[in-house]
Amino acid sequence: MTYASNRPAARWLNKVPAITFAFWIIKIMSTTVGETGADFLAVNAGWGQGATRALMTSLLAIALILQMRTRKYTPWIYWLTVVLVSVVGTQITDLLTDGLGVSLYVSTGVFASVLAAFFAIWYRVEGTLAIEAIDTPRRELFYWAAILCTFALGTAAGDLATEALGLGFSLGAVSFGILLAAVYAAWRCGGNAVLTFWIAYILTRPFGASLGDLLTQSRTYGGFGMGAAPTSLLFLTVIVVLVAVAQIGASSRARVETAE
Amino acid sequence: MRYPTTLSRLLVAVSVCAALGLAAGCSKQSGSAAASTTASASAAAQGGSPASGSKLGDLSQFRTIAADVSVLVAKGDLPGGKTRIKDLEVAWDEAEAGLKPRAADDWHVLDKAIDRALEALRADHPTQTDCTAAMTDLLHTFDRLAGKAS
Repeated sequence: MTYASNRPAARWLNKVPAITFAFWIIKIMSTTVGETGADFLAVNAGWGQGATRALMTSLLAIALILQMRTRKYTPWIYWLTVVLVSVVGTQITDLLTDGLGVSLYVSTGVFASVLAAFFAIWYRVEGTLAIEAIDTPRRELFYWAAILCTFALGTAAGDLATEALGLGFSLGAVSFGILLAAVYAAWRCGGNAVLTFWIAYILTRPFGASLGDLLTQSRTYGGFGMGAAPTSLLFLTVIVVLVAVAQIGASSRARVETAE
Repeated sequence: MRYPTTLSRLLVAVSVCAALGLAAGCSKQSGSAAASTTASASAAAQGGSPASGSKLGDLSQFRTIAADVSVLVAKGDLPGGKTRIKDLEVAWDEAEAGLKPRAADDWHVLDKAIDRALEALRADHPTQTDCTAAMTDLLHTFDRLAGKAS
């Protein structure tokens, strides 16, 4: 069964990557890197939350415009957009929690409801939630709205687990890792692909955050003591390598297709 | 590039989780005393010294910076205080993930006190009165949280 839209000669090919192991690695690492970058600007560089938010939102707008203008999945633009959506999603939740004093129970509940609403509307309008065929502007806008919401929800849920359960990053990395493995197993045992994909996507946010903290935090607090800069550099290197591989692969396939 | 099969991927994921768990557990034990010890145990171990017996654990490195800032403010050196308090902001921010899970409510109380001090010192026209008040409040907050443990 194909999910591609029925328009004759759809203008676009699928705009988002295939869901592979590399996809999840890049996704998890890009979450951490994006946040470390935003945090560095806000605190270390002394920009403050307001200016950093303004900059990140502007960069996201630019990246989204670039992404929406491509006609097929272009790895570097796609992943740049993901990093920026991750940062802005986190910042939205932080603004609600720290700036406006909204309870994490409320924000978690609200974002979960908003995400469910997005999916309901998306399904009613498009007839499918399959992400193998994000090949129209409308489908892609639904996709990015959902992605933004998962980052806000993942941040709220992760922060809530920290505060309500005292869940530190060590136990957090293990717990969210186990949950991810469970979702993966559920999918392999025949679970609904769309549902398991989005649940896993939400879970990778607190997992990535805990993993990053586990590496960066000082040994006094039970971390590996690597520090923010070296950890971010390590993650960024892994991302760049994997995205470069994907980009080169995509470009060479395009050249082959054009030549034929 | 060939990727491993489904089962080996699952095994890799599970082993990574297990390895992380083990490493985290080991690093926790080898690090200095975690604040997960009971309140009475930490209060007994550290006697009456401020900022070391709170539910958040040993806050002395942060309190030391706050004390430095307070001294600078008392001398009337507000720009100096503003420079020094940035060290507190950076150190506090870096340690958030480690400290907050221990006692989130206490963490927020101290975080807000630090924010007020930052605001006072970073105002367009900082005044001695406001900065002194903010720093006194901050030091009191440190001491109050330490007192809470006993």
